[in-house]
Amino acid sequence: MGTTVSIELGEDRPDLELRGLITSVCDWLHEVDARFSTYKADSEVSRFGRGELRLEDASADLRHVLDACADLWRDTDGYFDAYASGPLDPSGYVKGWSVEVAAARLLAAGSHDHYINAGGDIRMRGNHPDGGPWRVGIRHPWEADKVSWVLALHDGAVATSGTYERGDHIFNPRTGRPAQGLRSVTVVGPDLSVADAYATAALAMGEAGIAWLSKRAADGYDSAVVTDDGRAFSSANLPAAV
Amino acid sequence: MRRSTAAAVGTLTGAALIIGVRLSVTPPEAPVVAAPVGNLADGTPAPKPSSKKPAASGSKEKAPAKQKETAKPKSGLKDGVFKGDAAANPYGKIQVTIKVEGGEITDAAATFPTANDSATINPPAIAALKESTLQAQNADVSAVSGATYTSESYVKSLQAALDAAKA
Repeated sequence: MGTTVSIELGEDRPDLELRGLITSVCDWLHEVDARFSTYKADSEVSRFGRGELRLEDASADLRHVLDACADLWRDTDGYFDAYASGPLDPSGYVKGWSVEVAAARLLAAGSHDHYINAGGDIRMRGNHPDGGPWRVGIRHPWEADKVSWVLALHDGAVATSGTYERGDHIFNPRTGRPAQGLRSVTVVGPDLSVADAYATAALAMGEAGIAWLSKRAADGYDSAVVTDDGRAFSSANLPAAV
Repeated sequence: MRRSTAAAVGTLTGAALIIGVRLSVTPPEAPVVAAPVGNLADGTPAPKPSSKKPAASGSKEKAPAKQKETAKPKSGLKDGVFKGDAAANPYGKIQVTIKVEGGEITDAAATFPTANDSATINPPAIAALKESTLQAQNADVSAVSGATYTSESYVKSLQAALDAAKA
């Protein structure tokens, strides 16, 4: 996926065990990249996209990803669209989902305190090594070395979509034009794949995304938004650090 | 495409008609709060942020709006911002505002009750996001959430600095 993953384990365990856990996470993420990357012509997603792989022959993981993308397309009024740029590209779901799976595997392996940050999208559990919550900064959309909010959470996911990092790469599927109006959208909630999809959808909606996001709070997804002209908005229950 | 636009206008007109009918009921006085996009009603520009902004970006996006205004409106709608009359329902008072540009409805917003029974029924369902001043902090954090960086831009990111500090 061409990004960098940072993993921190908060446990006091033998070094060898911790290294083993991190290696297993990296192996899984590399496997996902090989199977789901749209940049690799021989990946399962690319073969399915070209019609060389039938749905009934696809892996359970790919069928899950396709189902989830369809659900999210409905949940976001079509603004989260795995076909937004033409051919099938479920990367917007795959990244969050693969980190969710990795974090669940860490938990199953006995790690209760960890975070995984995949290119700015974070899933965390338990405590920071100091015993408190994990403190997550939301990058300032114009000043790369500053943060505009600081969140404090033990369990949950934080996903940010923005136009400042890779330019106009998010499209409004209704108009086919690059999304505009919002500079940065952060969604906080229980599941990283959903949080990521909501952030991408709201960014695609433009300013209407602010009202749309306010309705997601009822399902446990809070948000923080910065508009193109520098206004900041956040939901009442955003877990801001004190 | 055209058909669906017409349908949307029809729905809004329908909503306006219903609001008109409901006016015959005396609305109970209830404070209302604007939806997040609600400041289209007064049309005032947003306050300028204090933080720095890039000089280059954004300037190219402004152009297309003008053309639409000169196009002949087909819908018979006048350009401007229009506020419907406040309508009462058993849960409180609702007021709809629409913005028309080039004869097309380009935005719609509604105010929602914050008192009476609705204060407990509506939020958080339609609780608006609150506006605040954009902060630029040097904060002590474990991790940074941001738009997906490339491998190249990771090197320059705050997360990379944090990782280097821990290694």
